[in-house]
Amino acid sequence: MKPFRARGGQLVARLDRAEAGIVGLLLDQLEQLLAAETDDVAGDPVLERLFPPGHRSDRAMADDYRELTEESLRGGKADDLATVRATLPAEGGEVRLDAEQAGAWLRTSNDLRLALGTRLDITEDSEPPEEIVDETDHQLAVYYWLTAVQGSLVDALAAGRAGRR
Amino acid sequence: MAGPLAPTRTPDTTVEEHGDLDRPWVTIVWNDPVNLMNYVTFVLQELFGYDEAKATELMLQVHHEGRAIVSSGPRERMEHDTSRLHAYGLWASYQKDS
Repeated sequence: MKPFRARGGQLVARLDRAEAGIVGLLLDQLEQLLAAETDDVAGDPVLERLFPPGHRSDRAMADDYRELTEESLRGGKADDLATVRATLPAEGGEVRLDAEQAGAWLRTSNDLRLALGTRLDITEDSEPPEEIVDETDHQLAVYYWLTAVQGSLVDALAAGRAGRR
Repeated sequence: MAGPLAPTRTPDTTVEEHGDLDRPWVTIVWNDPVNLMNYVTFVLQELFGYDEAKATELMLQVHHEGRAIVSSGPRERMEHDTSRLHAYGLWASYQKDS
C-alpha cells in the first residue's frame, strides 16, 4: 500500500491486489449488514455501534431519533459504500479520488474499522499482532492496516484544507 | 480514541447554574477506542466549522475526559447534529444540558 497523498487537487493512493481484494470482501460484509432489518439493530453489537442511540437514558426519545434518522443514515452509508466500490481497483492499483469520493472513503473506512473493532473488542490498549498465527491475528492486522489507510487519508485531507487558507 | 498517549490534564471546572427553562440541549461526543484522534478533529472542523485549534481542544477533551459538548441549541438542531456525527461514525448523543 502506498498511503494517500494530495496530488493536483485529488487524493491518490495505491493498493496491492491482495489489499484491494480484502477491501472488496469487507465491503461485501458491510453491505450485508446495512441491508439487515431495523429490528435486528438491538441484537447486533456492530449495528448498534453503526447506529447508536441518539439519547442515552430516555428510551422513547432514542426510539424517536431512530425512526427519524435511521433510514437516511443507512442510505448515506450505502451510497458511500457504492462510491468506494466504484473507485476501488478490483485487481489492485491506483486509487484516485475527488473531494466527494474522498469523503465517502473516509466514512466507509471508518465504518469498516468500527465493525472490525467492535467484533475484535478493540480497546485503547490494543496493539497490532506481532505475528499472525490465527484468524483473530489476521483480522487485527487488517484492522490496523485499515487504520493506516484511513489515517493517511485524514492527514492528506487536513493538509489540503490547511493549504486552502 | 486511538492515538498516542498524551499527559493527563486537569479538567476545566466551569460549571454554570441554569434554571431548567434556560437549559439548552447539547450534543455530546463520547470517547471510543476506534475513532482516530486526527479523524475526530477533522470531522468536528468539517461539520461545525471549528478552526483546527478549537476542534483539537474538543477532541482532546473527549479523549481525556471521556466526553465533550460539541454544540448546543434547540432540541431539533441537536438531533440533526447527532445524526450528522453518526453519519461519520462518531459516538454521539444529545440531551438536555445538565
